[in-house]
Amino acid sequence: MTMTEETNVKQNLIVLRQILEIPQHFSTGPIMGRFLKELRDNKRIMANRCPKCGRFHLPPREVCAICRARSGEFIEVGPEGVIQSYDLVYYASPDPLTGQARQAPYTTVNVLLDGVQGKDTLWHLLNETDPAKIRRGLRVRAVFNEERTGSIFDIKYFDIIDNK
Amino acid sequence: MKKNRNVGIIGIGQTRHSSHREDVNQPEMIHEAITLALEDAKMTMDNVDCIVHGNMELFEMIHQPDMWHVISDGAYGKPGLRLTTGGTTGATLVCGADTLVASGLHDVVLAVGFEKLQEGHTTGGITNMADPLWGRELQTGALTGMTADAVIEEFGEKRAKHAAMKMRVIMDKHAMLNPLAHRRFGFTDDMIPTMIDNVPPLVGELRIVHMCSQSDGACAMIFASEEVAKKRCPNPAWVMDHITIHREETFNLFGNVEEMTTMRYAAKKLFERNGITNPRKQIDVFEMYDPSSWWGLDWIREFLLLEGDEHLKMVEDEEIAINGSFPINPSGGVVATNPIGATAMIRVAEAALQIRGMAGEHQVKKDVNLALASGFGGTLWTVLVLLSKNPPKLTEK
Repeated sequence: MTMTEETNVKQNLIVLRQILEIPQHFSTGPIMGRFLKELRDNKRIMANRCPKCGRFHLPPREVCAICRARSGEFIEVGPEGVIQSYDLVYYASPDPLTGQARQAPYTTVNVLLDGVQGKDTLWHLLNETDPAKIRRGLRVRAVFNEERTGSIFDIKYFDIIDNK
Repeated sequence: MKKNRNVGIIGIGQTRHSSHREDVNQPEMIHEAITLALEDAKMTMDNVDCIVHGNMELFEMIHQPDMWHVISDGAYGKPGLRLTTGGTTGATLVCGADTLVASGLHDVVLAVGFEKLQEGHTTGGITNMADPLWGRELQTGALTGMTADAVIEEFGEKRAKHAAMKMRVIMDKHAMLNPLAHRRFGFTDDMIPTMIDNVPPLVGELRIVHMCSQSDGACAMIFASEEVAKKRCPNPAWVMDHITIHREETFNLFGNVEEMTTMRYAAKKLFERNGITNPRKQIDVFEMYDPSSWWGLDWIREFLLLEGDEHLKMVEDEEIAINGSFPINPSGGVVATNPIGATAMIRVAEAALQIRGMAGEHQVKKDVNLALASGFGGTLWTVLVLLSKNPPKLTEK
């Protein structure tokens, strides 16, 4: 076989396939840690407040990035609030750590909790996937899980409470 | 922007973009773009002083891919920078390369952006950008129906859905003129009513054709000092200015944000300092990073500092079409082609091709003296790059 013939032979290209599974652990720090501890131990949603501009951070943050001031007191908010925006997700995207596809459909909501000053909404799940039953402005309430570990899912989801 | 000296774009290379480039590995793929850019600039790697390299590592899960790619981008033994800023990476590469040349540090800089999205998981990768202590469990990559909701609420379901799908069809008509574009469906206007209701939804009213593609591809650009550019290239595109705007905690503020968007803020600043008082008249073509047709539609109003329903009219009246009065994305845009680390660079490259009169079948008919390109990324970063046909006057801005 000449060189030309050799290079003209179709080559079956090899594609390597791998699945990654990466165990990770993240430090929460004293501020986010206190927020999660309150969820776990007391079923309370705690925001903290910028001492300069007065807006609430939810989840709490170490500093107000706008005022560059260290955040101050913790204040209980919710557990009821109003839907500010939502996403009804049909696409079964993977959990980025396990690669397992999420169950779809599901609804994520941004809830402006009662007592919050400012615009920070709490991002979570809504226990409803019928588009006809979801709209902005509906009142919702956080439902806590029986078993709580100090994570986002200490709140199971939000329930609509005035969808009559 | 203060500049020590002008910078010209004298070389541009793009691969064919596709959902599957399994015929080449990563270095081979970016080598294609670099070879084309060098050919365009009539240069070899010997003429290049520095290489700026970028993509988004979370997609292919390869850290420091520039070390692997040294075999194909010519960076061995040369100064190099690696930049990665999420979706804006490609535009940030442009800003970086421009800065390196404008500062006088290097005369010729090669920038290359790439992604092989098929080698990882795009939505999984983007989900990883969320706060691991809270949002990562909730985020669905870059997919959201919130902009669709907002546009529908403001303009009514019928008009909003039609305008978004009309914009999608215009982008596809442009992509059909661009042989390198990834998704080329051949949509026609009569398909719009059927598509509005029957294309599968991803999130809310964001449907699968509205959303940008997941592409494999690379883009390379060569930036040269005014002296080199004028000597080597009959038709450089000149970097007039660029601006990068980002802000904290956008995702917490997602609920009914009333603040000025990073798009409007960036445009306002950039236009002010470059004497642009009427962008629709003064700018000849706009390559916009349109991650979806809903965002693209909404952002026309933001970028052009419009009020009311002017942006909808621009779509409905086909002003944004390639032969319209204000062409947007003659390349087909991001909804057609999206190798993410290259995507924002492709916007600048396509704007530069329009200025240089080298866009081929998707060259706009009118003269292009001023072109705008935008980059977008998490968390709602905006980069704008302004290019001109004539070298800008070096004055302090």
